[in-house]
Amino acid sequence: MSKPKTLRPVLQGLGAYALAILATLFFAFPVFWMASSSLKSELDISQYPPVFTSFEPSLVNYAELFTQLDALDAFINSAVIVAMATSLAMICGTMAAYALARFDMKGKEVMAFEVLSIRMLPPIVSVIPMFIIARTLGIFDTYWLLAAAYGLAGLPFVVWVMRVFIQDIPQSIEEAAMIDGCSRFETFWRVTLPLLLPGLAATMVIVFMFSWNEFLLASMLTSQEAKTLPVIAANAIKPKSIAWGLASAAGVMMSLPVVVLVLLMQRYLVRGLTLGAVKG
Amino acid sequence: MGIQIKNLVKRFGSLTVVNDISVDIKDGEFFTLLGSSGCGKTTTLRMIAGLETPSEGKVFIHGKDVTYAEPRHRDIAMAFQDYGLYPNMSVFENIEFPLKIRKMPEAERRKKVEETAGTLGIGDYLGRKPAQMSGGQRQRVSLARALVRNPKVFLMDEPLSNLDAKLRAVMRTEIRRLVTEQGITTVYVTHDQIEAMSMADRIAVMYKGDMVQVAPPLEIYDRPATRFVADFIGSPPMNLFSAELSKGGRVVCQIQEFGQALDETERHRATQMADQHGHFSVGVRPEHLQCVAAGTAGSAEAIVELVEPLGQTTNIYLLSGDQRYIVVTDRTTVEAGDTIGVIAPREHVRAVARDR
Repeated sequence: MSKPKTLRPVLQGLGAYALAILATLFFAFPVFWMASSSLKSELDISQYPPVFTSFEPSLVNYAELFTQLDALDAFINSAVIVAMATSLAMICGTMAAYALARFDMKGKEVMAFEVLSIRMLPPIVSVIPMFIIARTLGIFDTYWLLAAAYGLAGLPFVVWVMRVFIQDIPQSIEEAAMIDGCSRFETFWRVTLPLLLPGLAATMVIVFMFSWNEFLLASMLTSQEAKTLPVIAANAIKPKSIAWGLASAAGVMMSLPVVVLVLLMQRYLVRGLTLGAVKG
Repeated sequence: MGIQIKNLVKRFGSLTVVNDISVDIKDGEFFTLLGSSGCGKTTTLRMIAGLETPSEGKVFIHGKDVTYAEPRHRDIAMAFQDYGLYPNMSVFENIEFPLKIRKMPEAERRKKVEETAGTLGIGDYLGRKPAQMSGGQRQRVSLARALVRNPKVFLMDEPLSNLDAKLRAVMRTEIRRLVTEQGITTVYVTHDQIEAMSMADRIAVMYKGDMVQVAPPLEIYDRPATRFVADFIGSPPMNLFSAELSKGGRVVCQIQEFGQALDETERHRATQMADQHGHFSVGVRPEHLQCVAAGTAGSAEAIVELVEPLGQTTNIYLLSGDQRYIVVTDRTTVEAGDTIGVIAPREHVRAVARDR
């Protein structure tokens, strides 16, 4: 009699686990395939039926990545450009979001919408104007151009997301700080900012990933000096064939910093991404 | 002089929230702003704190014009309804914060924080985060944070309204004791008449942006200036009967016997407060009306609608003509459906102005 009663939740639990494992496999397999392909020779990659584990791992693809495609330069370029762009978007965006969230201004909503409207333009439309502007200013194929372009592209996102995070902080906390002797800026720095950390982390990871993976602008607005990782990764596609091993190695190298960043920020991220949902 | 408010006006767009109020709050006084929600009491407090800029008028604290000064330059402390504690800091850091901003040396800071926390009975919780505390404890932390730097002026915005009734009663006496001991000028905003009555040296009753009456609690209770004050203070509230002053100075009241009970002083007050049509109200507190046998000389006839025994007192709901009112007495043998007489003693009948 009692058997079905106790068995049922167990079965349900097993079912849930099975589903979860399936879903994980579904999402993890491409990552595994990319990582394993990066360690395979050209021959192993093109084998049919495909080999999963029984191959001789080699670092040839990685070596090629650095010798043929100048991956190290590109990595440094990417890192510098993305760091500049992310800081620009985060600093300016958060301050703008604070103003929009807290200050009494005329036409606040119009301004907020105006900021967002940059995102409504397809990026390709802005490539030619940006190219001309860059040429005139003499910043074509430099860090500055892409940093500015990515910073501007990330800005609206930061403004809108951070505005909500800031609005979620009770105003009385800031008012208490001002009564306790802080100026507006001190209040922001000492009281508001620490409370915003989860939100900042979540937003930053997204802005970082966007700039880190951006290809279109990078391919059009650089030629030699400021080439970023996505651009050289695309070079794995050669006129006659695709160098799968090389492309996979580039993919792994590009994913690593994102993975590291997400792991570092994980503590904040979980809170940041759910902050709006669960209050108090 | 503690705080001076001169012709203060606050408008939000076309809405006037605070309408030309002026008041002098004495040094060390416990001053309460009382009113229902939306009457402008919190906005007034926020203008004193510097969290809101007045549209017109001036605010002086200790003789200094601070109308446009930042909150931090006003030497005030404030307690908020939702406590306004810093959730990421421990209780100790919360209380320490104002001292830290003022760059007090660390040893001295620690001493002050421990001392203040001890006074408020939260000395054992200094390591906790606000989220790990109950509402009452959090409010103590916010009071400690306010008191730790010995402010001259303490502003409180409904600090007890998120607490349960029992705790509220305890905190009421405690707050009153703390600020009186330290001689702090206090402005206390509340919508709870019991808080106002029990704590304040003076109450300012606010209604639709106006300060309708500023007086000590018992005076507000005994001589409410307008219908709103009479209705707002006291539970059950004052009984009010429409009355009119005729050309010859005669009083015509809805219940004539009560109108005739107005004495000389009240009659004189009536002539001053009646509107252009001569309308005003006659008010009698429920506990002052006396039930007598029907037909007694000078009594108004009334039908008993309902008797509500509360133990200590009894509420009797009455109907005279089409006017309903309440009498509060000791225990009684009167029953619903009885016809009785009601007498309004001369010394307790008041003339009350209509609301603007």
